[in-house]
Amino acid sequence: MSNEEHHEHFSHRIEGSAIVTVIGILILFASAVIVTLMAPRFVDPSWTQPTSYYQVQMYEVSDPNFYISTESKESRTLQYIYHLKNGFTLLAFKDQPLVRIVAPRDLEKYVTRLKDKQLKLTSRLLLLRKPVNGTFKAVDAAAKLRQQLDADFAKEHPHVAKTDYTILELYDPGRPEAFALALTDGVFENFVDRDFTLVEGAKQSWHQDPGVIYVSNPQEYRYLKYKTTLSEGWRYDPEGSAIKNLEELNHLNLGFRSRKELIALGEHIYAIEGCWYCHTDQTRTLVQDTVLNGSDSYPAPPSSPNEYIYQAVTYPGTRRIGPDMSRVGIKRPSRDWHKSHFWAPRTESKGSLMPSFRHFFDDDPRGTSANQAGIPNYKFEAIFQYLMTKGTRITPPTQAWWLGRDPVNTLQIIEGRAKVVR
Amino acid sequence: MTVMTQAEAAAPITFDDRPTKWLIYPAIFFMIFGMTIGFFISLNGFVFPDYFAGEYITFGRVRPVHVWGVLLLWLLSADIGLLFYIVQRLSGVRLWSSNLGIIGVALWWLALIPGTFSYPLGTNSGWEYAELPIWVGWIPCRVLFFTAFFLFAFNMFMTIANRRYEKLYVSLWYTMGTLIWTTITVFEMFFTLNMLPGGISRVNASFFYVHNLVGLIFTPMGLATTYYFLPKLSNTPIYSHRLSMVGFWTIAFFYAWIGAHHIIHGPISQWLQTTSIIFSLWLFIPVFTVIHNFFMTLYPKWGLYDLSSPIRFIIMGTSFYLITCIQGPLMALRNINEITSKTDWVIGHSHISLYGTFTFFAIAGIYYVVPVMTKKPLWSNRLANWHFTLNLFGSVPFMASLWIGGFIQGMEWANWATGSSYAEFHNNLTQLPFLDTVSNAYYWWVLRSIGGGIILFANMLFVVNIYNTVMLSHKPLVKWIPSNQTTEAAL
Repeated sequence: MSNEEHHEHFSHRIEGSAIVTVIGILILFASAVIVTLMAPRFVDPSWTQPTSYYQVQMYEVSDPNFYISTESKESRTLQYIYHLKNGFTLLAFKDQPLVRIVAPRDLEKYVTRLKDKQLKLTSRLLLLRKPVNGTFKAVDAAAKLRQQLDADFAKEHPHVAKTDYTILELYDPGRPEAFALALTDGVFENFVDRDFTLVEGAKQSWHQDPGVIYVSNPQEYRYLKYKTTLSEGWRYDPEGSAIKNLEELNHLNLGFRSRKELIALGEHIYAIEGCWYCHTDQTRTLVQDTVLNGSDSYPAPPSSPNEYIYQAVTYPGTRRIGPDMSRVGIKRPSRDWHKSHFWAPRTESKGSLMPSFRHFFDDDPRGTSANQAGIPNYKFEAIFQYLMTKGTRITPPTQAWWLGRDPVNTLQIIEGRAKVVR
Repeated sequence: MTVMTQAEAAAPITFDDRPTKWLIYPAIFFMIFGMTIGFFISLNGFVFPDYFAGEYITFGRVRPVHVWGVLLLWLLSADIGLLFYIVQRLSGVRLWSSNLGIIGVALWWLALIPGTFSYPLGTNSGWEYAELPIWVGWIPCRVLFFTAFFLFAFNMFMTIANRRYEKLYVSLWYTMGTLIWTTITVFEMFFTLNMLPGGISRVNASFFYVHNLVGLIFTPMGLATTYYFLPKLSNTPIYSHRLSMVGFWTIAFFYAWIGAHHIIHGPISQWLQTTSIIFSLWLFIPVFTVIHNFFMTLYPKWGLYDLSSPIRFIIMGTSFYLITCIQGPLMALRNINEITSKTDWVIGHSHISLYGTFTFFAIAGIYYVVPVMTKKPLWSNRLANWHFTLNLFGSVPFMASLWIGGFIQGMEWANWATGSSYAEFHNNLTQLPFLDTVSNAYYWWVLRSIGGGIILFANMLFVVNIYNTVMLSHKPLVKWIPSNQTTEAAL
């Protein structure tokens, strides 16, 4: 460093010193890291805040407590089960036109009758069952109610044969948790954000949200083990035995996985199968994207950062060899469509380059095997549940998120009222 | 820097080229391997879709094997091998620690080979260019990969710190830069990503990594080696050291800011998109300094272009670099991005930069270092000429088909729907479904495969040539002696 005087210009001093070079590199690099990597999530709240209380409830409340069985040779339909927890799960017991509820005097306040304007919700763990005579003479009460209903019906419709009403008894199982049969498609949940009341007040913070996810008319899930000379297994049976706790559900090897597990697994499958090399997961702020992902009558909203906050890995994608995935839960909600599409993509989509994913199936769903139902395995269930989160969880379903939100001005641009702003 | 006695300065230096050899020789093999996989998926994915079907051979499972095969197993390994070569020569001292270099190389291959081969079995982590799994069996791939790179960096830094020549040649800045940038960037992506909140924060960090991989790893490595090999091959001093300094410091400033331009129009803050666009445009500055410098360096001896295939590789690589770097900033502009983004244009762009430019540079470097290290002339100059010619004639249809096909698809997406009402617009859209825009690209994909096949064949000639140079003792077909007799200080 002694012959510094030969190089007066500062650039020559840098040429002579590795230390200065290293410090310069670090300072310049750090400035970029701070501004582009660290700052944004503090500057833009949408990077971390949920889109809505509905999104939070779906991911944090509903998914971990919703269980889906995989199809097996014996039980040809999927089983959907709610894990109900006392003081946590919100339940509604609501009379339907053909389903009526009898309840002992002390439980009557939980039942929403047809004439009631407000839906009554409770976090107390109660269940419905076929009437049983105990301290509350439910069978007698049901018979009386049936007579009453038949008489009313005959009066209103004198020339019509009498209707068959289902009458259920509301009872307190006296347990902290229970498992109920879920009558849903496994994708959408019951949701209410108007005309509802919590009978015994809010026990959890999410009970105070402007709208809540609830379970409607839960009946206990019961299963029966069977054994024939050919096979042994289990199936749903209303006369079977109940599942006591989560341990039993997992221990019994019934093949149940929570929707949360399935979504996480689906995300993992999306990674290892490399789906993300050909499918993007973003509706860009471009007219072609909002129209492509939109419905017949209205454009889709562009993707916002907070749609992705519950994902461990996010796949915005860099290439579209197949169509965009960000609204697939709205565009393609059919489980059957996805089933046949994963089996043979080109049958569903002419000209598609997608390979078939036959390892998502344990048996041939074309009907050439002994079992004609077709048996997708848990991998299919996982990827399907994962795909169904896309576009379906942004705002509550009652608010029809895809209507009225058009930040790209798709409609104005198309109708020529506004210039394309880039 | 140590002060040396007269005797020390006069003593001949023996350089340790084992790390270079053990990185470069396998890397050349893996180039063929990675390109064969690429050629296979271009056929099985696009020309004859799903001809070979099955869980382990789908496009999504095999694509990362191609990417890691050519990007990491070939290009990065070859570049690091060349850095080991030039750092010793430019510092005028032997490698600081031979053992550390050899351990680093061993860990490097132990991490990368199982990692790359495991993707079809389902170990892909889901982040682009960071697919490397944490574990493959009992092998902690990510930790080994990072450790190996850290050992390389430490070794080279110590070599530079002990250098004999005070003045740092431009290649050494680029080397120091890339060692620091790579270490930090890889650490950020491999080990700290999950500390960020889920969603766009991680996406942003991922694209920061993705672009740094190209801009702050492959670019400085390619430039460092070429700033050394072009003057050596042509026996000409570099045109302007001052200009190279401008280029280096502007790269150091601009490159780390532009990650977000991968997600323009996407779900990321507008101000971040705009920042990345502005910095992308400023990249014209470092790029033109480099290109001007390379061309002007050869200008006095332009005739060498006809005589030396490594020089042809460098000059053609520089020309491709010019195209890349005109494309890159322009693709970041919102209105151009609307057309080119998410199409094959992007694939073409990544191939012209990583194949057309930096693979050409690395090939030129290998053509230079192998005869020097083995003290034997290249086995066949004619084969090297064929290698270059076929590479060029393969590259042009290969990349042009991706650009043209991608551009056409982008235009179809942007224009497929016209109409004065939403309903009409949506209806028109269904007249040309998405899948038709995919089918329309078919013949461009065929052309891409043809170009890729030519490239693959050309590089097989390269492997034969290098293999014979190293393994055979032979009489050269055409006498060609690399100009390694000039002193390093003369640069």
